[in-house]
Amino acid sequence: MRANDQVIFENVSKFYGDVLGVNRVSLSIPPGITSLVGPNGSGKTTLMNLMTGLIRPSRGAIRVLGIRTDNPEELFRYVGYCTQFDSFPKGFTGYQFVYSYLRLYGCAHGEAEDLTWKAIERVGLVEPARRKIAGYSKGMRQRIKLAQSICHGPSVLVLDEPLNGLDPLVRAETIALFRVLAEDGMHVIISSHILHEVDQISDQVILLSNGYVVAEGQIRGVRSEMQDHPMQILVRCNHPGRLAAKVFEQDSVVEAQIHKDGLGVLVKTRDPDKFYLLLNHIAQNGVTIESVAPADDDVNSVYEYLIGSEEAGR
Amino acid sequence: MAVYKRSYRPYTGRLTPAWSRFFVLTRYAMRGMFKSKFLTAVFVLSFFSPLICALLIYLNHNPAILTMLHARHNEVVSVDGQFFLGFLGVQGGIAFFLTAFIGPNTIAPDLANGALPLYFCRPFSRAEYVLGKLCSLFYLLSFITWIPALVLFGIEANLSGAGWMWEHRSLAIGSLLSSWIYILMISFSAMALSAWVKWRIAAGALMLAAMFLLSGFGAAINAVLRSNIGFYISPGALITRVSSQLFGLDSPINVSAGSAWVALLVMCGICLALLAKKVRAFEVVR
Repeated sequence: MRANDQVIFENVSKFYGDVLGVNRVSLSIPPGITSLVGPNGSGKTTLMNLMTGLIRPSRGAIRVLGIRTDNPEELFRYVGYCTQFDSFPKGFTGYQFVYSYLRLYGCAHGEAEDLTWKAIERVGLVEPARRKIAGYSKGMRQRIKLAQSICHGPSVLVLDEPLNGLDPLVRAETIALFRVLAEDGMHVIISSHILHEVDQISDQVILLSNGYVVAEGQIRGVRSEMQDHPMQILVRCNHPGRLAAKVFEQDSVVEAQIHKDGLGVLVKTRDPDKFYLLLNHIAQNGVTIESVAPADDDVNSVYEYLIGSEEAGR
Repeated sequence: MAVYKRSYRPYTGRLTPAWSRFFVLTRYAMRGMFKSKFLTAVFVLSFFSPLICALLIYLNHNPAILTMLHARHNEVVSVDGQFFLGFLGVQGGIAFFLTAFIGPNTIAPDLANGALPLYFCRPFSRAEYVLGKLCSLFYLLSFITWIPALVLFGIEANLSGAGWMWEHRSLAIGSLLSSWIYILMISFSAMALSAWVKWRIAAGALMLAAMFLLSGFGAAINAVLRSNIGFYISPGALITRVSSQLFGLDSPINVSAGSAWVALLVMCGICLALLAKKVRAFEVVR
């Protein structure tokens, strides 16, 4: 993949006086959906502000699709940003909100009008577009913010907590929109606290804690590299007791626990590959295995292992 | 998900020139200002004084009316430096009152709503943001100060002839420059206060208080220390001093015109520094 297709952080640090924003961040973000995950104050918004050029790094360099972030005239042709907080000029309608920012972007009246309607249509707000934003629901506000961030056709879309306040139906529609944009080749970079949704929608995750990147990449890849936390695998079978006894003979198996419902075994192993080979062997010796599924290779578990302990220790 | 084919096409259409983009902000700010009926009423009332002055100039050049009033030319009104200084003094008062009313509304709502990141994630800089907001005040105050002054100058020139216009060109230049420095100073003050004091009424009151308190404090310093250094913290005195110089008049403010200019520019600089501190795309939460 070419560097011009990626958002690249090279040893980036940002300090607000003596307050640490992020420290020594080196990342390459490819197209697709990337989620920034971390507790409050971990540096998610700082990272977003850095990649949108709203703040300058204290150290290091950032390039978005090969463009330096201190070149706003060029950068914002390609970047769209949806902030975390609502910021609507008083008395504006949804249409005026999107239209005014397009004029600021540099579109003439006719083109701004066309692009406004296209963006509004994309987020499904055509009918209430002429109504004042003050009367919008939280979900509608999120969607009109999303419209203003995609209206100029950016290649990199940076969304700070875009799913906040959306009801399940609208959330599903919004996630579907992210998917469509990402499949078209757009970088969709999202920060979110809703871990199970991050897990569903992300192609890759970046886990942040106290201003440091603690893990990055595809979530399963991240999980497999966490050697100090044995992998948990749930095996559904007809003889859980026999299976537990068999697997426990393996050196790499740390723990084997009959599941609460009595229909499976939860195994903790340091060597999943070896364990899967063993399972093949066991399956040929009278135990019917119904399903085998990793139980902790999701964002939630990785977050808990990497960040949860630090949070608890604070 | 690997992306092998980009079907997405960003906008590649024509764009408006970058230098003029801040006018979008000015247009929206002015539209917002004139939603206030009070502002519109005061703005309309501000044309009362220029109308009276225009009428006086006309009377001064109308022999029939002068005969009727048993007056001679220049007895009704003398269009000179003193005339323009007085005129701009009245208009300046109205301009200041309007600025105290609308100025606090320029930046505070954007800061309160966290709108600055939205402005700055466009090809749009902090300087352009301040310029856009400043222009809205500059336009409004121009219609109250130097534009009517130049209209009055034009009327007098028209009635007195081209010779008068050339001979008294310093009046037009003086009106222009003294109005500009005054507008810049009160606009920057209002914007700086708007950025730091988010409550509109408090910011307006603070602006009025700052002007009067600084003048009072300056006078007190002069009285106690028996010097003139108190004038340097009094914006009103400094404006009077530079205006007097521009109109070629003697001034009761005993400081040099050059130092008054410097003091006013320093005041504008302080306001700009205050703005630079607040007008940022992010907020540090400590």
